[in-house]
Amino acid sequence: MNSLPPASKKLDALADPRPVIIQAGQHHLLDGRSCQACGHAIALQLPLCPRCRGPVEPAQFGPRGVIWALTVVHVPARPDDKVPYTLAYVDLDQGPRLLASVAPTDATVEVGSSVALTALSALGDPTVEVAP
Amino acid sequence: MTVSIWGVGTSMFGRQPARLPAQLAWDAIQEALEDAAVDGVDAAYVGTVFGAPGVAQRALSGVGITGIPIITVENACASGTTAFHEAHAAIAAGRYERVLALGIEQMSTLFDGPITPETTDSEQASGLLLPALYALSASRYMADYGMTLSDLAQVAVKNSRHGSLNPRAQRRRAVTEEEILSSRPIAEPLTLFQCAGLSDAAAAAVLGHERRDDRDVAIRASALKSGLAWDQASKHVWGFDVVADTSAIAYAQAGLGPDDIDVVELHDAFTIGELVTAEALGLAAPGQGASLVRSGEASLGGRRPINPSGGLLSRGHPLGATGLAQIAEITWQLRGEAGPRQVQGARTGLVETMGGGASGIDGNGCVVTILGG
Repeated sequence: MNSLPPASKKLDALADPRPVIIQAGQHHLLDGRSCQACGHAIALQLPLCPRCRGPVEPAQFGPRGVIWALTVVHVPARPDDKVPYTLAYVDLDQGPRLLASVAPTDATVEVGSSVALTALSALGDPTVEVAP
Repeated sequence: MTVSIWGVGTSMFGRQPARLPAQLAWDAIQEALEDAAVDGVDAAYVGTVFGAPGVAQRALSGVGITGIPIITVENACASGTTAFHEAHAAIAAGRYERVLALGIEQMSTLFDGPITPETTDSEQASGLLLPALYALSASRYMADYGMTLSDLAQVAVKNSRHGSLNPRAQRRRAVTEEEILSSRPIAEPLTLFQCAGLSDAAAAAVLGHERRDDRDVAIRASALKSGLAWDQASKHVWGFDVVADTSAIAYAQAGLGPDDIDVVELHDAFTIGELVTAEALGLAAPGQGASLVRSGEASLGGRRPINPSGGLLSRGHPLGATGLAQIAEITWQLRGEAGPRQVQGARTGLVETMGGGASGIDGNGCVVTILGG
C-alpha cells in the first residue's frame, strides 16, 4: 500500500491545471473552448460554458493579443521562480483573457501593448512576447 | 424577528507561532461569551481556511463547549463572515436561540511570506500570488483612471494612522507615504506596506434574537454571494462586480443606501482593494475611490470613516478570523466602545469581506453585513 504520491511531489508530475498552448506552424495558439450557444471564448478546456452553461467545442485562439493589465512580481511564487518576473492578463484577439508570463525584453511593456503567444516558459507557463 | 449581536471578542493579532490555534480561539470565545453575558451556545459556525481538521472542536471543547452542532466553513478570506452569515440565517430560521460565530487562523506556522499558490488552480499554478492578482487590478486602475502611486499609498497612510490607535493590531505605527512607497516591492505597483501582514488570531461573535439590552447590535442585513465568471467580458477589475452585487442585496434587505452608512470596515488586504471596494459599495463613483481617501472623508474625524480599526493592513490578515474581527470593530463602534478610534455618533455600520483564489470567477465569496441603525 504505497500508492499515495509524496506530499512534496512537483507540479510537473501532477495533472496540470494551466491553459493548454499548442504549436501550429510558426505560431503558438491557446487550445481552449468556444461556447456553441453564446459564442463565449473560454481559456480552459471546460465541459460547459462558465457564462451560460451551453455546450462547448474545441477552439484555438491567438497568437496575437493585447495586454489588459500587468505586474512585475518580486517574490517567488514557486521555488524555481526567478524574480523579478512579469505577469499579464492578455486579451487574445477574438479570444479569451489569459494569464501569461511576459518574456523578458528591453522593449516597453504596458497596458495596451501588442503581444503574441510564444513557447511556454521554462516553468511551463503560457508566455507572450512583445509583438511588432 | 430581528437577530442581534449579543457579544464579540478577539485575540491579539500578529505572529503568534508559540500559541496553539485553540489558545487563540479561547481568548476570542471567552471574551465574546462574557460580553454577551451567556454561559453557553446552542450551535457554532466556525470559519477557517488552513485550519487543521478538528480545529473548531479542539478550540470549543477546551472551553467547555461540547455536545452541540459545530459546522466548519471555508470561503477564503470571507470564511469568518460566512460563518457569521450562516449563524444569522440559522437564528432567523428558528433553528437555535444562541449561536457562536468563530473565525480561527494560524498563518505564521504555515507561510513565510505570501500564501503559496494552490497547485490545482490554473492561474495560481502559473505563479499568480494574491498580491499579484490585486496588483493587476492596480495596473488597470492606473491605466483607466490615472490613479497614481501616491493615491495607493494614501490608503496605507490612513489605515496605519487608524491602526496606531488599535491596541490589538499587528502593525501599530503610523507610516508615511515615503516609507510605504520605499518599502520592499512585492508585485508592482504594490509594496510591502501595501499588503496586509501575515497574522495569527481568532475572533468571535455571539448571535441571538433581539433582547432588551441596549448593548446588543441589530443585524439589519447579511448577504453572501460567490463571483460570476470573470474574464474578457467583464466590465470591471476582478472583484468589483461581486462586491457591488452583494452590497445591492444587503442595502435592499436593510432598506438603506450607501449614504445611510456612518462607518465601514472593508477588505483592504491590499491598498488597491480598499479603493475598488469603496467604489463597488457605492461610497464613491468608479475611479473616485482615491479622492475619497485623499479628501479625508474616509479618515477618523471625516464624514464616513473607512477601516477605523486600521483595516487588514494594520490589524493583519489571519484569513478565517478577519471577517469576525471586522464585525467586532463595528459592534464596538456602534456601542461607543471604540476608545480613541471612536467614530462619533456612529449609528449604522457596514462590514464587507472578500475572498478570492479560484481563477476564472470574480471571487470565491463576498459577504456584506449592515449593523445597527
